Amino acid sequence: MVNGITLGGVYALIAVGYTMVYGVIQLINFAHGEIYMLGAFLAYTMVTVFGLPFLAAFVITLLICSCFGIILDFIAYRPLRKAPRLAALITAIGMSIFLQNLALMIWGSQIKAYPRDVLPEIFFQAAWNLGDVTLSWLQVFILLITVISMAILHIVIHRTRIGTAMRAVSQDKTTAALMGIGVNRVISFTFAVGSAMGAMAGILVGLYYNAIFPTMGYIAGIKAFAAAVLGGIGSVPGAMLGGGVLGIAEVMGAGYISSEYRDGISYAVMIAVILFKPSGLIGRPIGEKA
Amino acid sequence: MDVRSLGKNPRLLLMALLLLAILLPWLPMGGSTNYILRILTTAILYMILAMGLNIVPGFTGLLDLGYVGFYGIGAYTSGLLAIHYDMSLWLILPLAAINGAIWGILLGAPTLRLTGDYFAIVTFGFSELVVLVIRNELWLTRGPMGLPGISPPAIFGHPLTRDWEFYYLILILLLIVLVVVTRLQDSRVGRAWFAIREDETAAQCCGVNLIRYKVTAFAISASIGAMAGAFYAKWFKFIHPDMFKFWESILILCLIVFGGMGSIVGTMLGALILIPLSEVLRAVLPQGLFSARYLIYGLVLVLMMRWRPEGLIPFEWAQARKALLSKERLGL
Repeated sequence: MVNGITLGGVYALIAVGYTMVYGVIQLINFAHGEIYMLGAFLAYTMVTVFGLPFLAAFVITLLICSCFGIILDFIAYRPLRKAPRLAALITAIGMSIFLQNLALMIWGSQIKAYPRDVLPEIFFQAAWNLGDVTLSWLQVFILLITVISMAILHIVIHRTRIGTAMRAVSQDKTTAALMGIGVNRVISFTFAVGSAMGAMAGILVGLYYNAIFPTMGYIAGIKAFAAAVLGGIGSVPGAMLGGGVLGIAEVMGAGYISSEYRDGISYAVMIAVILFKPSGLIGRPIGEKA
Repeated sequence: MDVRSLGKNPRLLLMALLLLAILLPWLPMGGSTNYILRILTTAILYMILAMGLNIVPGFTGLLDLGYVGFYGIGAYTSGLLAIHYDMSLWLILPLAAINGAIWGILLGAPTLRLTGDYFAIVTFGFSELVVLVIRNELWLTRGPMGLPGISPPAIFGHPLTRDWEFYYLILILLLIVLVVVTRLQDSRVGRAWFAIREDETAAQCCGVNLIRYKVTAFAISASIGAMAGAFYAKWFKFIHPDMFKFWESILILCLIVFGGMGSIVGTMLGALILIPLSEVLRAVLPQGLFSARYLIYGLVLVLMMRWRPEGLIPFEWAQARKALLSKERLGL
């Protein structure tokens, strides 16, 4: 259960990136999972090769990945903004595969682990012991970061000028542009924030499971997408809820039904939600957009 | 444009290519004949797959990311029937195709109501579930141990073993699929598909039953994929769940995007260029980097969408030729 919630927090962090991008430009950014993977690897490289302290590596990785998200949008998606959606979707898949194999070439296919001394020893000790349930400080840390960043994001979207602009663009790009909003600037900002969240999730997962590998983004990306759909795509609190539910469902399902079908549970949940309630748990109803 | 000279006599060109394909095993190629034949058999297998997939995104305009699921279903249908019942290939191929079509209908009927993006994701989830089931249901598929010892196909009691025999077999399959797909494209069904691709609402207003035609497209596409899988199992004589991973779907998608989505000639050309390319890469790249060859496929997808979304041989080719003819007739 506790593992489920931690996992769910991570899914939620990734799902936010999908949801925000989808909300603004109606594109499933398949490459988002790859940014999560790159985040984990960049932080790893900075800690092991350049010997930076973990906190510095963390911050720099988030910055790099934000820039990376903007560049990705600029070179891959912006030229296709007016093209049919099929074209943008195929581009997204192409980018995802390209980045994944690029990582494979740079870092190799071996599973890598963060050195244990990047974090103070206390993180690996139990924070609470409730009967046979143990909660480590690392788990507390992950949950805390998730909740804080979600809260900040919520405030940004609902209380600031750029957040208002984002919501305007997500409703109607043309009208937003007529009202004097720099649509492309808003989209870049969305990609930057989403990518930073994804990269953060990547680093946290790398610490939590102590294993990073080039194909980690593909499965996590799909599951996070499932979480985003479950919560209602386009809705940030929905992504959080969806991530939590999916994480718990996965851990419980693996425990009680069959551990072989662990990944299958996410896919099944996703397909069921898409079929029966495509607007998600708390999403706004979506119309049939051609 | 050389399209005109190509378009003037497509039948002659087709005959010449077919003749070349038939004579190929007997051309002097030194000791590498069998190697080349094996690569060509693979390329033709992917041509069939690409033509099958093309029906869904190319003709109907829906992105199918789970095509390999049907390929896997076909391969396992074929392998299990061959091992447990010792059936002949001529029974297995239609049975595998029917099984593929059944799964296509089961998946398609509820999901084809969805918009494009959701449909793509559901097909993806489906193909991953197929692989998971194959991997975990040991009693049926032997899971990660794979399915070895599939008997080779036999014609009139003569088992096929040589490379050129398989080459001819797949060539015949290719011709059958080619005829079927071309006839479908030019039929009433094909026109309904194109109408759906261009504008769903308009198509519906013209009396096209959206769901029925979409499910038909999906089922036919699935059965072609399953048939290709059935051949693959009989040819390779060993199948394993890892052969049917998501990457294969992307590869097939890449073939049709490269060749020209919606164009039959284009998808075939895409397979004929890109599949042997992977063999070239195998020879050129060092061992460790070979697994990164998908980098190139990803790049192909991105670059094609950016600069030539219509592919090498665009689908509009046929229309352009028609327009040209009518212009000539009008004396313009």
